Amino acid sequence: MTVGGGPVVEEEKAEGFTFPPDVTQLGIISAIIAIVIVIIPGLPAVVKAVGVIFALLWGTDSVRKTSKYGLGTGVPSIGVLAMGYGILGALVGIAFAGILNVSIVQPGVLIGVIAMAIVGLISGVLSNNEKIIGMKIPGLERGMMELGMAGTLAMVLQFSIVAGSLNFDLVIEKAVSNGLIAVMFVLSMMAMFHPYNACLGPDERRPRTLMVSIEISGLLCIILGIFVAATAGSTWGVAGLVDGISLLIFGLIVWIVFFVKFIKTAMREAHSTVGTGLIRTIE
Amino acid sequence: MLFAWMLLIVFLALIACMFEDLESDMGSQSNPNSQVQLAAQVGQVNRFFNKAISGEAPSYALYCTIAGVVAYVLLLREVNPLLAIPIGALAGEAIHVIFSVTAHVGRTAAQKRFEQPIYLDVLYGHLLPIATHGFMATLCITAIAYIQCNLGTLSGMPALNHPFALPLLAFIWGITVGAIGSSTGDIHYGAEREFQDRPFGEGKRVVYHGKITRYADCGVRTQKDIAYFCAKYGGPVTGLTFGVIILFESWRSLVGMMLGGYLPLQEAMASDTLLGTVARVATELLPAIPAAIGDLTAIIGILVGLAIGIVLIVGNVVIVKWARKRYGPFVGE
Repeated sequence: MTVGGGPVVEEEKAEGFTFPPDVTQLGIISAIIAIVIVIIPGLPAVVKAVGVIFALLWGTDSVRKTSKYGLGTGVPSIGVLAMGYGILGALVGIAFAGILNVSIVQPGVLIGVIAMAIVGLISGVLSNNEKIIGMKIPGLERGMMELGMAGTLAMVLQFSIVAGSLNFDLVIEKAVSNGLIAVMFVLSMMAMFHPYNACLGPDERRPRTLMVSIEISGLLCIILGIFVAATAGSTWGVAGLVDGISLLIFGLIVWIVFFVKFIKTAMREAHSTVGTGLIRTIE
Repeated sequence: MLFAWMLLIVFLALIACMFEDLESDMGSQSNPNSQVQLAAQVGQVNRFFNKAISGEAPSYALYCTIAGVVAYVLLLREVNPLLAIPIGALAGEAIHVIFSVTAHVGRTAAQKRFEQPIYLDVLYGHLLPIATHGFMATLCITAIAYIQCNLGTLSGMPALNHPFALPLLAFIWGITVGAIGSSTGDIHYGAEREFQDRPFGEGKRVVYHGKITRYADCGVRTQKDIAYFCAKYGGPVTGLTFGVIILFESWRSLVGMMLGGYLPLQEAMASDTLLGTVARVATELLPAIPAAIGDLTAIIGILVGLAIGIVLIVGNVVIVKWARKRYGPFVGE
């Protein structure tokens, strides 16, 4: 996928739907919300889904910030990289989830997040260092660090939705060995890179891009909801069924709201939206 | 029986990759891909569907994995596979259409300053062909994953069931089919079609970028023309590539299993005759026997694979030499 367009000029317009916080604020808010939700594995699935949405939103914003420099083909790659970090970090996190328990709070899982922040920072420094790879992308160190953390948070939350706890053996049994990890991986990475990839162009606008991320998170909730509801009988009974169906309905609502909103916004902000027509003649 | 299932997988792979290639032409994900992305920016306003869902490999991994998970859930609920696999593929295609809409609308809206409008008839008119072609590909891939997952049960040798779960196999096959579809059969791309009068191998000059998105042989060009053009040769040849890859791969493993003695051993152990009892007792008492048989199987399989690889390399060299001789001097030589 090759995309031209050269350096993208940032144009902040006040019209239409906007996300109030800027990049840093959104990162901090999303991180705090996701971390608070992730360390309490006893919460219902819908609350965890809110955490997933915020974590992926943060990831999308980081992808956008890092790729805006003109990555082009690198946009999908960086999303896949983020979820690669995410899976590693999530496995490290749940391996440490058993320690440091304070009643229902399990802060041990944050070790995975911190580990991936360090790994991301190191790979960012290595890629940008002139003596090693010398990519010279501004903000790559911070972007990689954020991607690693967002990916890990999103993945741990999804594990915890499907397995109902952060027990390592339970997660391996209910989320990894039955192949569900594949759909988590592929939909989360799409939620991270597809928004910016789909809205790429000189007239890309941040609120529009972020809407797509929330929409895809809605789809992720639908799929996980179907899975949790359908396998409830074999996993954890009625609570699982309620969790699954509430997740499904939540995902459906989120998806419909943001899909319609995005399509309307994009059609309004395009040069023009016409039923049909011939192409403009070039002299 | 095992060979029959393997051949069925090969056939499904052929169909899957053929439709995958045509679908990617329909959505401009593979064929004049970068041309479509660039066209409006160099002033060539067009009526193309701009389906920018990453590369083909990750996007097909997405649809096939969703199809695999939905089919897996239905199979857990003991739905008949003949029903579960199409429903899974349908779910995968629903996701595909949603992603296509966001990609086309988003990309076109981001090209506002180049006066590229969103043509609603282009948007709606391409969704159904995208969904139908994609459905065929996803259906075949999910079926392959299902057959592989249950290969042992279907062919009567339970030891041959694939250790991976269905969604994981669908993920792997989705990436494979996307990667092969994206690298093979692009006979429409720029230089190949529009510049047939240029010297062989010249490539494409930047000044012509985006021109191929404007006019067809008759009227304004859309992706439907491209899929029609590619369906005659590009699509089938892509399917053939994937089918042949799967054929050689399965054939070499099966030949290794036959000659190495793994399959005869499994067959003997599954039977109720005296030989079966002897085989079971022997493998229990002397674990070195099955280990040696396994080693031999792997070695023969690898040797056959190397032989196939050498034959293919030699064949490619011969074909390239012939083509260069036949179609004139290659630019740059």
